[in-house]
Amino acid sequence: MNTLAYLIYFIITGFITIWVGRRFFRNGRLFILGLLRQDESLTDAINRILLIGYYLLNLGYAALMISTWETITTYTELLESITEMTARIILTLSLIHYCNMAGIYVISKRKNTFTHS
Amino acid sequence: MQTTFNFLAYLIYLPVVIVLTWYVAHILFRNSKVFMLDIFGGKTDIAGATNRLFETGFYLLNLGCAFYIMEISTDITETRTMLELLSTKIGGFCIYLGIMLFLNLYLFFRGRRIAKQKSRLAEAAAQLRPQA
Repeated sequence: MNTLAYLIYFIITGFITIWVGRRFFRNGRLFILGLLRQDESLTDAINRILLIGYYLLNLGYAALMISTWETITTYTELLESITEMTARIILTLSLIHYCNMAGIYVISKRKNTFTHS
Repeated sequence: MQTTFNFLAYLIYLPVVIVLTWYVAHILFRNSKVFMLDIFGGKTDIAGATNRLFETGFYLLNLGCAFYIMEISTDITETRTMLELLSTKIGGFCIYLGIMLFLNLYLFFRGRRIAKQKSRLAEAAAQLRPQA
């Protein structure tokens, strides 16, 4: 039963990680571009490195969490534990996401005051 | 072994919660484009990107919370108990979603107000400059 749970878990987390990563990759580019004063080649390089870092962090975390998994005997427990573990990953992801947005906001604000005064 | 309704309860809970989140996010972020355009002074690309990022964050946070509170620790033996538990859970989640919606709306209104103040200040400064 546990093997089945790990398989389903990895499919779900992999799907979410890649989908969210692609979204961030596409929409975050503009912000880095703004911060780096329209330097396109540097922006693309940094963006790609950030994407790789994000994948590594998230998939690594997802794989680490498997060691805390309890033994499963029924289908109800299977559903319960998969949902709970996925929820943890998603919540961590959203926390990191909001921290990043706050970071972008703070940096761009500081930059603005720096250039205007 | 007596059959329990836990699995059935989860099977009802998950689609309801996912559809609810999708619907709220869909409505909210289709209409928030106007706010974003106001906040970023009509710059379409950066407004769209910010909107997308907020949408992703909204999905992640709310679906994560919905999944996290799904577990029912007691064994459900009656359909009546199942319905009561389900309605408590889904109702609680609805209220949480509503609070989140209003929080987002508050953020949009606040951003819009600040952007308007800034543009007014810039206008006043532009009017002052020739006289000085």
